[in-house]
Amino acid sequence: MSAKKLRQLKTDITGYLFILPNILGMVLFTLVPMIFSLIISFTDWNFVKGFGSWEWIGIENYLEMWQDEWFLSALRNTVILAFVCVPVTIALALVIAVAVERFAYAKLPIRLAMFMPYISNVVAVTIVWVMMYSPWGPFTQMVKMFGVKNPPQWLGDYTWALPAVILMMIWANVGYCVMIYTSAIQGLPGDVYEAARMDGAGEICQFFRLTVPFLSPTTFFLVITLFINVFQIFAQVQIMTKGGPGTSTNVMVYYIYKSAFNYYNMGYAAAMSWILFAILFVITIIQWRGQKRWVSY
Amino acid sequence: MKMKRTMALILAGLLGISAAACGAKGTDGQASGGSGAGADTDSGSEAQTGGGASGKTESGGSAEDPVLLKIWGGVPPEAGPQASVDLFNEAYKDKGIQAEYVYYVNDENGNLKLETTLMAGEGVDAYMSYDERYLSKRVEGGMALDLTELCERDGFDIKELFGEEMVSSYEYDGVFYCIPTKRDQYGMMLNKDMFDEAGIPIPTEWTYSEFREIAKQLTHGEGEQKVYGAFLNTDQNILTTFQYFGVSALGGDWMYKDGGAATNFTHPVVIESAQLAYDMMNVDGSAPTHVDSVTQKLSCDGMFMNERTAMVPASWTVRNVKNLEAYPHDFVTAFAPYPVPDNAESPYIMGGVGDMLSINPKSPNIDACWEYVKWYSTEGIIPLAYGGRIPLCKSIDTDEVVEYFFRDAEDLLDEESTKYVMIEPRGSYAFLTISPKASELGDILKEEMEAILNGQKSVEEGLADAERRGNELLAK
Repeated sequence: MSAKKLRQLKTDITGYLFILPNILGMVLFTLVPMIFSLIISFTDWNFVKGFGSWEWIGIENYLEMWQDEWFLSALRNTVILAFVCVPVTIALALVIAVAVERFAYAKLPIRLAMFMPYISNVVAVTIVWVMMYSPWGPFTQMVKMFGVKNPPQWLGDYTWALPAVILMMIWANVGYCVMIYTSAIQGLPGDVYEAARMDGAGEICQFFRLTVPFLSPTTFFLVITLFINVFQIFAQVQIMTKGGPGTSTNVMVYYIYKSAFNYYNMGYAAAMSWILFAILFVITIIQWRGQKRWVSY
Repeated sequence: MKMKRTMALILAGLLGISAAACGAKGTDGQASGGSGAGADTDSGSEAQTGGGASGKTESGGSAEDPVLLKIWGGVPPEAGPQASVDLFNEAYKDKGIQAEYVYYVNDENGNLKLETTLMAGEGVDAYMSYDERYLSKRVEGGMALDLTELCERDGFDIKELFGEEMVSSYEYDGVFYCIPTKRDQYGMMLNKDMFDEAGIPIPTEWTYSEFREIAKQLTHGEGEQKVYGAFLNTDQNILTTFQYFGVSALGGDWMYKDGGAATNFTHPVVIESAQLAYDMMNVDGSAPTHVDSVTQKLSCDGMFMNERTAMVPASWTVRNVKNLEAYPHDFVTAFAPYPVPDNAESPYIMGGVGDMLSINPKSPNIDACWEYVKWYSTEGIIPLAYGGRIPLCKSIDTDEVVEYFFRDAEDLLDEESTKYVMIEPRGSYAFLTISPKASELGDILKEEMEAILNGQKSVEEGLADAERRGNELLAK
C-alpha cells in the first residue's frame, strides 16, 4: 500500500471515529429496532411467552387487520383527524401570522403566547383541556349561554369526542406554524409588495396573489411535517379519552400501543406500525409529486 | 462487554415493562406460566455461576459478630416495615441475627433494581414480591430458594399455617418458592356520618335492590353540591359492578363459561349487574353518570374523602383515612361487604393474597434468612397492619392486628364494621384460574357497557353484542 493510500485510510478512520457515537446510537436505537419490528411483524410473537418463542405466520398479521374492527376504527379516526387538523391548522396559522405581522401591536408577546402550547408539556396541557371540556368548563358554559338545553358532553360524547380532540390538536400546533410562517414572512421581498400597491392591489388581493404563493415552500414543509406529527397522536388520546367513548377516538398509535402492551400481540402491533409507516410514506410521496403544481420557489 | 451489558439491561427493562403491564390486570391470585421464559433462564444461569464462587464463606455467624440480613421490600419503612424490623432485631439480639430493611419502589425500575441486585449474587438476603408475574419470573430465573427442605426440617407446614386454598396458586409443581404473607379483603367504604344522619344502620349483608334503595335515600342536593348515594368508579373501571359485585355469585372466572371456550356475558347475574349500574346512574340519579365520571375524571379517593358520595366500592383507599394532610376530614369511615345479586347464590367474596416473601438462593446466610422468614410470616408482619396490611397466617391474634390497623385513626374508623369487613376472615375468595384473551374481552365488555350506560344500547342488546364479539375473538 502506498503512503498516500495509507494516509487516506487514516483520515477516513478518524472521520468515522468522529461519527461513530452517533452511528452507534442510531443503529442501536433506531435501525435495529426497525429491522426487528419488521421481522416480528411476520410472527405471532406474544410478549408474555418470552423472547424467541414465536412461529412464522407469513403475512397473516397484515391480512388480519383489515377484519379487525378496532384497527379499522383507528384508521378511520386517524385519517379524519389528520385531514381536518392539518388544513385547518395551516390556514389558521397563515392568517394569524400575516395579521399579527401587519396589524398587531406588541407582536413579540403575542407570538410568544401562541408558541407556548407547542413547548409546554403535553400531559399538563391535555389535563387542562380535560378540565375545559368538563361540564363546568368554558365550552359547555358557552354553549349553554346560547340557550342550548342539553349541551354536548364533549369527551364523553360519541359524536363530539373526536372533534374535541381535533380542536385541541389544532390549538397545540397552530403556534408552531405561526412561528415558522412569521420567519418566512419577514423574508418576503418588500419591493414586490410596493409595486403591487402602486398597481392598486388591495390587502386581500396582495394576500392571495403574493403572500400565499410566496409562502408556498413553507406551507409545503408544514403540511408534510404536520401530517407525520398528527398521524402519530398518542398522549392526548391516552390521557383524554383512552380511545372512548366506544371507539370514537381510537387512533392508530394508541391501538398499536394497546395491542403490544395490553394484549401482548407484539407481532400484530409491529405489522400495524409498518402499515402506519406505509400510509405516511405514500402521503408524503403524493405531496412531493404534487408540489410541482402549487409550490413556487 | 459494556455493550453486552447495555443490551442485557435493555432486555431486562423490556421484560420488566411486560411484567408490570401484566400485573396491572387484577388482584386475583394467579400464577402465570411463563412470563419471559427464554431470557430468564439465561440470566438465571449466569447469575448462578457468579454466585457460586463467592457464596458460603461466612455462613453460620456467632453471637459476637451478628449476621446482618438485608431484607428488600416495597412498602415505605414508616408504614410498618421499620417497626417490624426493630422488633426482629430486639428479639434476635442474642441469637446473632440482625436485619436491615431496604426499601425499593415497587414499580418497573424498582423491580429491575431488585432483580439486578439478585443476579449480582449479594446485597439481598430475602425479598418481597408483590406481583405474581414478577414472582414466577424470579422462580424460573433461579432467584428464589426452594423452601421444601427447610419446611420439612422445621415442620413448617405452609398449607396448614396459611390455608391451603389461599396459598395453592403459589405452589409451582408442588414446591413453594415464597411464602405469601398478606391477605386483602375488599368491600364498600361508607361514610358513617351520612348513614347515621339518614338513620340507616351499617349493613352487614345486602342485595342489589337493598343497596340501590339505600343509595337513593342517601342522595340529596343539586348540581355541583349534589351528594350521591354511591359512586361506581366507572372512569377508572367501568366493570366495577361485574368485577366486584357480580363476582360474588360467579366466582373469579366470571367472564368465561365452558372452561374459557366461550364468554359468559349474557348470564343473568351479568345482566343484573349491568342493569344495576344503569338504573342507579340514569334512573335514580343516585350515582354519578358514566359521562360525568369520564368528563370530570372522578375518582374514589376524591369523591369519598371530599364527602361527595356516601359509598365507594374501593375499601383499598382506606389509607386515605390516615392521611389527614391530603384529606383533612372528621367523618367516620365504615365498611360493608359488596352487595350481592338478588336472585343468586353468592358464595364468594372479593379478596386476594399477596406480599410474597422469598429467600435469595445465593445468600450466604440461608439459615438466618429462614429464621427471619418464619418469624416475619407468622408474627413480624403484624406492625404492617398500621398501613392496612392484614396477615395471612391463621395463628396470628386478630386483636393485635386490629390495634395496629386502628392506630392514629381510632376516631375515624368504625370499629365493628372495619373488623368484620376488612380484618376477620369472611369466606372463600373468588380466585381467577383462567385468562384467555382477558384484556381483549375486558375491552369489548367495556365498550358495550359504555354504550349501555350512555343510553346507546339497551342492557340486553349491549351484552348480547359483547357476547357475540367475545366469542368471535375466542374462536380466532
